[in-house]
Formats: sequence, structure tokens, C-alpha cells
Amino acid sequence: MGKLSYESRIELAPGAENNGLAAMMSSLILQNLNDKPEKRADFAKLRGRVAIVAEDAGVALTMVFGGNMLTVHDGIVGVPDVTVRANSDDIIQLSLVELTRLFALPNLRGEAMRQILDKSRRGDVRVFGGLLHLPLVLRLTRLMSIH
Amino acid sequence: MAHLFPSAPWTAAYQAAVNENPRYAEAGKEWIHGPVALVVRADPAIDLSEDMAVLLDVHAGQCRAATYTTGSEARSAAAFAVEGPYDNWKTLIVQNLDPIKALMQGKFKLTKGHLPTIIRYVESSKQLLASAQHVTTEFRR
Repeated sequence: MGKLSYESRIELAPGAENNGLAAMMSSLILQNLNDKPEKRADFAKLRGRVAIVAEDAGVALTMVFGGNMLTVHDGIVGVPDVTVRANSDDIIQLSLVELTRLFALPNLRGEAMRQILDKSRRGDVRVFGGLLHLPLVLRLTRLMSIH
Repeated sequence: MAHLFPSAPWTAAYQAAVNENPRYAEAGKEWIHGPVALVVRADPAIDLSEDMAVLLDVHAGQCRAATYTTGSEARSAAAFAVEGPYDNWKTLIVQNLDPIKALMQGKFKLTKGHLPTIIRYVESSKQLLASAQHVTTEFRR
């Protein structure tokens, strides 16, 4: 899949090679980690299972984080800690979330976050398990964000 | 007059369509990240003996040049390359498929280029491909 300059791994599980969403997410995370080394601390601490479902595209993936290790599976595998259900445009929007300068938190005043919150209120974006696994969600948001 | 897809005349008509698309001019005005190659995979059944590509020199909301060339030449020249089989390109053009959804479904692959940049300019990408709907197209199959 790709290499990082420190001990870490991002890979597609067998069967995920033809899952475009899986390929995109793993590429995005890899390139974000290479572009912005400050995100590596989040990658090191991320542990858990996150599913993303692109409902309009009929595609899903499960990302299994194990501290500097990520395996991306086709479909929903196991019992995710967090599940994000949204249309493909809104999944892309998640990676446009701006981060605050202090603590790199999702910027609630940023355009991307406001749109996501609006869509969440309408039920277009649904996050299951987010409140129970808030640190996981915050670290993942920082990792996926292109900012 | 309909232009055969893909071909040099189709490519020239596509360049014109991009430059006549005000939504692309707006969405793409900050694109300074280099040429984009749209690669159609080889399909001998329709006389595509090798990968062929439309190479678009897009910059600041304009398509400065468009070249019909081989896939390998386009991949070398482009900063970004999106590839897929002929039938998927046909579906994208005819049905104005959402290219992001199509990428997620594995119908196309980004084989070259920085994905975070594509994501940053997702509307620009959509309008670039939507411009193809304005080309009168004859399909090989």
C-alpha cells in the first residue's frame, strides 16, 4: 500500500483491493501522515475499529487501528466502535474539516464542520458510537482532515 | 456533429466545453496543481489497442490545452491521472456520474497524484468531468 518513514503500516486487507472507498481512505491517511508529521502522534494512539458506509455508493469499509498500524477491510467487519453513515459527498466533507490552531480540534466555526453539523441534524450524516468513543473520533478526524 | 470517444476531435471539443463551463471556471479558479490525465484502459474489441488518454492542461479555471495521447505519455506528463475502463467512462459521460462516488465504487482509480489535493478541489473535479456532457459524443460501443 505505501510506506512511512517510521515503524508503521497501512494496508488493505485481502478482498479490499477493489473497494474504491478503502483505497481512498488508506491513501488519504498515508498521504496526510507523510505531509503532516504532527498527525503521527494521533496515528500512534489510535486504537479501535471504525466503519464508514457511503450509502449512496453502496460501499463500506472497516478501519482497524492498532497504534501506528491500520488495516482497512472491505465492508463492515466485526463490531465497530464507531460507525459513520453518510453519502459519498459528505464523507469527503469529513476530510475537509478545518482544525483549530490550539489543540487541533475540529473547528466548529469552519465551513466544513458547519455543513456536517447541519447534515447531522437532518440525519444525512449519522455517527454511531461517537460519544462513547470521543477520543477515537477526535483523533480520526485529525488524521483524515487534509488541514 | 458527434465526435468519437475517445479521439483527438473529441478531446478538442471537450477542451472547448470545459472553457465554456462557467461553473468550472469558478470552481477551478484556484487549481494550479498541474495537468490531469483521464485514461481509458485498452480495449481491443473497440480498437483501443493500448491505454489512451485525454491530457488536460488545466490552470486557474481554464483548460489551456488538451491532447489525445497514449496512456503512458499522459501519465508521464500529468500531475494527476484517473483511470478506468471504457464502459465506465461512457457511463460517467452519459449519466453524469458523480466522479467521487465512482471512485469510491472502484469504477475509476486515481493512479497518480496527491489525493488530499483532489479532495480539496472536489467541486473543480466534478465540474471538469461534468463538462463532458456538453460534448456531442459518438460511442464505440
